Amino acid sequence: MMNGTQNIIKKELTRVFTDKKMIFSLFILPAIMIIGMYSLMGMLVTNMMEDIETHIPRLYIQNAPADFEEVIKLTQFDAEITYIDAAEDTKDIKDRILDGTVDLLVVFDSSFLDAIHAYKSAGDPIPEVKTYYNPAEDYSEAARSNFVKNVLNVYQQSMLEERLGNIEQLQVFFIDKDPSTSIIIDEKKADGKILSMLLPFLINIMLFAGAMSLGVDAITGEKERGTLSSMLVAPIKRSEIVFGKLISLAILSGISAAVYAISIVVAMPLLIGGFAGEGMGDINLRFTPVEMIQLFIIMIIVVYLYVSLVALVAVMAKTSKEANTYVMPIYIVVMLGGIMTYMGSGQTKLEYFLIPIYNTAVSLQNLLMGELTLAQFGFTIGSTALVAAIVTGLITRAFNSEKIMFNA
Amino acid sequence: MIKVDDLTKVYKLSKKQMIEQRTKKNMKKAVKNLSLTAKPGEIYGLLGPNGAGKTTTLRCIATLLKPTDGNISVCGHDTVKDSEKVRECISFLTNEIKLDPQFSPKYLFNFFGRLHKQDEKTINDRREKLFNYFGIKDFEDKKYEELSTGMKQKASIAVSLVHDPQVVIFDEPTNGLDIITARNVTDYLKLMKEEGKTVIISTHIMSEAEKLCDRIGIIINGALVMEGTLKEILTSTNTSDLEDAFFELYQLHNKEEA
Repeated sequence: MMNGTQNIIKKELTRVFTDKKMIFSLFILPAIMIIGMYSLMGMLVTNMMEDIETHIPRLYIQNAPADFEEVIKLTQFDAEITYIDAAEDTKDIKDRILDGTVDLLVVFDSSFLDAIHAYKSAGDPIPEVKTYYNPAEDYSEAARSNFVKNVLNVYQQSMLEERLGNIEQLQVFFIDKDPSTSIIIDEKKADGKILSMLLPFLINIMLFAGAMSLGVDAITGEKERGTLSSMLVAPIKRSEIVFGKLISLAILSGISAAVYAISIVVAMPLLIGGFAGEGMGDINLRFTPVEMIQLFIIMIIVVYLYVSLVALVAVMAKTSKEANTYVMPIYIVVMLGGIMTYMGSGQTKLEYFLIPIYNTAVSLQNLLMGELTLAQFGFTIGSTALVAAIVTGLITRAFNSEKIMFNA
Repeated sequence: MIKVDDLTKVYKLSKKQMIEQRTKKNMKKAVKNLSLTAKPGEIYGLLGPNGAGKTTTLRCIATLLKPTDGNISVCGHDTVKDSEKVRECISFLTNEIKLDPQFSPKYLFNFFGRLHKQDEKTINDRREKLFNYFGIKDFEDKKYEELSTGMKQKASIAVSLVHDPQVVIFDEPTNGLDIITARNVTDYLKLMKEEGKTVIISTHIMSEAEKLCDRIGIIINGALVMEGTLKEILTSTNTSDLEDAFFELYQLHNKEEA
């Protein structure tokens, strides 16, 4: 009985693999795009950060204390500073901060040093340094944070020392003198955390996108072109045609998704290069054999489910245009399933692993973190397989329907 | 051998179709109590205007549609209960059924041969024979989409014959073809007849029916209003050619309907 299925799979695969354009658009273009996009993004981020670092901020300081110029010199804060006195109107400077031509305005209270020196006990007035900056401008934001960290904090520290004599009195205890030695982490879980946010979402979308472009053409397209009917008059069961189509589509979307996944893994360091120093180290994934098998099974069943969902829509639709329209809501649901893995904080309830689409995303996430339990895995596979079987049944029924196949 | 016994086919109409066809009924009887028999070694022609029910009848015979009422048997198999067996012994050709544009006639021939459960040797032998007969050899490796209309038609016919079918069903065989390609097709139908196959075609072209068909069934508004050889039809309508006979019958039966 499987003779027809086998032949159809062979033909569908031949169709794609003998067509240079198809190979290029399905397998080569996505890889080039992802690697290109990621390295471009990485480069842009690196450039941007370098640009901010080399930019010399433009500052206005109003009413600076007498010794402040000395402090700036000591801290080696590199900036183009204009000092203005208390009487001057700052409205113009603020406008220029808004349009980005000035990065920072710092205003000292009028009797700044006097107030500090006059301080005796609690309740005495404490003067203020007020900064004005524009967080929407990268230069301004960076100038402000550097100024506070490198100038004002140092200035404050030296004044404290002056006031108290021994500054260690303030340091009641240290927290992590050497922060790098305090981190105890399961490296797999840490790496998994980054990927587990990204990959379930990407895998879901990629698999579905592959199934979508291929499925609509292979089913609605054939219906439109009249080539499907040539198979309907062959002495094979409708279910053989359905299986042949679904399995070949699943193989092709699987390959296409694998190309995506490999490209992402290859391209990730290129992207991460841009964020270097932000805690994203090398990404290495290690799976136990059991996890590898689980991943494989999940992927296969997900591909099959997506392919069958697309196929069901494709077989119902009269034209490819119609099919593409109808398939969009399913695509959105698939995306939501992926996005929801971002939100799910902590443990997901076991029952939730019965919700198709969502469960595979969560399972993939847990698998990458090394936390997928057998029960969760079983629930996921079981419910997905059940839905896939029902959808396959519906497709076969659609293939048997005169109304759908012949518009009769 | 094709036996159609009291075939009725009713389509349900969608709201849109009801508006298009300006009807308030949500059912349309495409074929009404139609019975006919096509025997081996003859070409049976279903003659009728557009929308008379010719294609529906042929699709029912080819197992693509299920009769609402009545039975059809092809080569002794029921088209509903034994549809796979029926499909094994028929070849159904229509301009709406097309072959995959990206494949060569050779690939498609082999593919359908395997779907028909033929072994490789039989497939190769038959391909050799049919491709030679139809002159497909020169372009057997070209993609179907690159072929001219005539070449396509020849390739479709050859592919549909891969399993040496006993029954050939051809919906509007010469529709849209130029005179040379049309001749190719009719020649092939005659050849099938000589080989003792059962051939049934539908047409609205009088001259084609006159020249080609051994027996003609005239179908109007879904009902078979007359059946017989050309001579029998002319005698019973008391006319001198098929066109006149057809109009005679059309006026008579279309009036009844209205």
